[in-house]
Amino acid sequence: MKNWLIILLIVGLISASGCQDQQKELKVAVAAPFTGNAAAFGEMIRRGAELKEKEINEAGGINGMKLTLIFEDDAGKDAEASLVAERIASNLQILAVVGHFNSSCSLAGKPIYQRAGIVELSPGSTNVTVCEGSDWTFRNLYRDDFQGKFIARYIDEVLTDLQSVAVFFDNDDYGRGLRNAFVAEAEKVGLNLVADEAYERDSTNFKAQLTSIKAKNPDAIFISGLYQEAGLIVKQGREAGITAQFFGADGVDSPDFLAIAGSAAEGTYLTTPFTFGAAGEDALQMAAQFKALHNGVAPDTWAALTYDAVGMIADALEKTYNPEASVADNRKAIRDHLASLDTPEEGYKGVTGLTYFDRNGDTVNKPAYVKSVQDGQFVAAKQQLLELD
Amino acid sequence: MLSIASIPEEENMAQFLEQIINGLVLGGIYALIAVGYTMVYGIIQLINFAHGEIFMFGAYIALMLITVFGIPFWIALPLSMVLCAILGVLMDLVAYRPLRNAPRLSALITAIGMSLALQNLARMIWSARPRQFPAEILPTVFHGQNAISLPGGAALPYRDVFIILLALILMIALNRLIHLTKIGKAMRACAQNQVAANLMGIKTNRVIAITFAIGSALGAIAGIMVGLSESVTPTMGYYKGVAAFAAAVLGGIGNVTGAMLGGLIIGVAEVFGAGYISSGYRLAIAYILMIAVIVIRPSGLLGKSTGDRA
Repeated sequence: MKNWLIILLIVGLISASGCQDQQKELKVAVAAPFTGNAAAFGEMIRRGAELKEKEINEAGGINGMKLTLIFEDDAGKDAEASLVAERIASNLQILAVVGHFNSSCSLAGKPIYQRAGIVELSPGSTNVTVCEGSDWTFRNLYRDDFQGKFIARYIDEVLTDLQSVAVFFDNDDYGRGLRNAFVAEAEKVGLNLVADEAYERDSTNFKAQLTSIKAKNPDAIFISGLYQEAGLIVKQGREAGITAQFFGADGVDSPDFLAIAGSAAEGTYLTTPFTFGAAGEDALQMAAQFKALHNGVAPDTWAALTYDAVGMIADALEKTYNPEASVADNRKAIRDHLASLDTPEEGYKGVTGLTYFDRNGDTVNKPAYVKSVQDGQFVAAKQQLLELD
Repeated sequence: MLSIASIPEEENMAQFLEQIINGLVLGGIYALIAVGYTMVYGIIQLINFAHGEIFMFGAYIALMLITVFGIPFWIALPLSMVLCAILGVLMDLVAYRPLRNAPRLSALITAIGMSLALQNLARMIWSARPRQFPAEILPTVFHGQNAISLPGGAALPYRDVFIILLALILMIALNRLIHLTKIGKAMRACAQNQVAANLMGIKTNRVIAITFAIGSALGAIAGIMVGLSESVTPTMGYYKGVAAFAAAVLGGIGNVTGAMLGGLIIGVAEVFGAGYISSGYRLAIAYILMIAVIVIRPSGLLGKSTGDRA
C-alpha cells in the first residue's frame, strides 16, 4: 500500500514539473571544479553564478525567457574537462559556456568548443595561451604574463627590502606559465633569484624542497600554484624555520588558503584580479545580495568574476537570441556579440570593472590588486600598484 | 641551474641533516603503512589495496574524535587505532573471507573495489575539502615550531623525533611479536602453509583477522602522523599507499623486516631526489630506485622466492 502511495507521488511530481516546463528556457553551462583540489573555487563560482541567475530571472528573465544554468564538474583535471566539454558541446540546448576555471581545463576544452562552435568564457583561467588560436574562447580577467610581471614589479618597487627571491611552482600549465613570466621580469628589474623549485599537483609534503630553499636564505618566496598546496607550503615552511616573505598569486586567493595555513598565513601577500576592498558601489551591493542568498557567506574574487561572466552571456543572449534561428546560429551570434566588445565604450560594465576584449578574446586593461593576510583575513594591501609602465 | 658553491660549507651540512630527518620521518611513515601490506600478503597472498584507505580513516577518525567529541589527543590516538583495527577485521570478514578459496584475481579485484568504496565513503561523510588538525588543541610537542637546534643551524622538530622514535619502537615491537609470542608463531605457521597450520589446530581465520587488526592499527597511527603536518583528505591514502606499497615490494613483499627497510629507503630516496636532483619528480625517483632493485633482485631486498614469508 505504501509503495503505491510513493509511486503516485513520484508520478505527480514528474507531471507537475512537466507542466512548468511550458515557459521557454535559455540554457547556459557553467563548467568548473566542483570537486577535487580546486573545489573551494568551484563552490564560489557556483554561488556567484546562482546569484546572477536568480537576479536575472526575478527581473523577468531574458526577453521573457528563463535563464537556466547547468553546472558541469571538471574536477580541475584536463582529462575530465575534455569529457565535460564534449558533453556540453553535443547538448544542443546549451547556448554558451561559462568556464572553465583551471587553465589546463580551459585549454583542454578549447579545441572541442571551437569545433562545436560554442563560446567558452572563462572567469578564472590566466595562462597566456588560453585564448590563443580560437575565436570561441574569451576570459574576463588578466593573463599570467601580466600577473607574473606585476608581482616582480611589486616586490621590486613596493617591498623594496626584499632583494633575493625564490620561486616554488606547481608543475602544470598555470604554475609554470606564471613562474616563467615572474622569472623573466625579476631578472629584468634585478631581483636576485636564488632558488627555483617545482612540485607536483596533489603533493602534501613539501619539506624536501623547502629545506633546499631555506638553505639559500631568500628574502621572499613566490608560490606559483593553488591554495591547497600553497597553504601547506606556507605552514610547513614556517615550521621548518623559514622567515622569508611569502607571495602568492590569484590561485591562492581562497578562504581555504587561510584555513589550511592557519596562523602561518599571516602576512602573506597575493595578487588578485579583483578585490571587494577596492571595489565600487555596485560590487558592495552584489556582496550584500550574495550574503543574503548564501547564508551569510561572503563572496570572493571568483564569485564576482563568474557573476559578471554570466551577466555578459545573458546580455549577449538578450541582444542576439532569435527563437526562430538554429542552435548553431544562436551560438555564433553570442560569439559575434562578445567579439564586438573591443573598445572601452562598448565594454561590459560589471561589478569587477569594465571588460572588453582584444582580437584573441583576452581582456584588456583590467588591473591587478594586491591583498595581504592580516589577523586571519584578506585585506587590500596599503600600497597598490595600479600602473605598470 | 643555480650553483651551490657560494653557500658556506656549514649551511650545506645543516641542509643535509635536515633532509636526512625529512627522509627518516617520511620513511618511518611509509614503513608503518608498508608492514600492513606485507603482513597480509605474507599470509593470504592478497595485495590489500584498501589498506591505504584504512590509513586515511585513521586520520579522519582521530580528527573527528578530537574536534567533534573533544577527546584529548593522547586518548584519541589509541582509540583511533582500535577503531581502525576493527574496521580492518570487518573488511576481511565482509570482503575477503568469502573469497578465501576463490581465484586470487577475484580477491584482488575485490580489494580494488573496497579501496574505491571506502574512498568515496570518506568523501561522502567528510567532503573532498582538506582538513587540518587544529594546532591549538594538539599537545605542544606536535607544534612544528618547537624544535631542538642542532649545530650548524639545523632544526629538529620534536614532532619529527616523536614520529621517528614511534615508528622505530612499533617496528621493534612488531618484530618481537612475530618472533617471540605464540600468536606470532601462529602467524608464521600460517604464512608457511595455511592448510598444515589448520591441521595443527591453529585457527587460521582468527590469525588472519589478527593480522588485519595489527596492520590496520599501524596504518591508522601513520595516518594520524601524516595528518599532523599535512592535510587530511579522502585521497591521502591513495598517494601514501602507493608509495608504501612500492616500499613493501622493494623490501620483498611478505617480509616484515623488508617492508621496514623498504619504507626507509623509499622515504629517504624521495626526499633526496626532491632536495638534490629534481624537485618536480620526487616520487618518480623513488620508483626508479624500486624498479632498479626489482630488476636485479626480483623478490625484493629481503624477500625469498619460496617458503617462510612472515
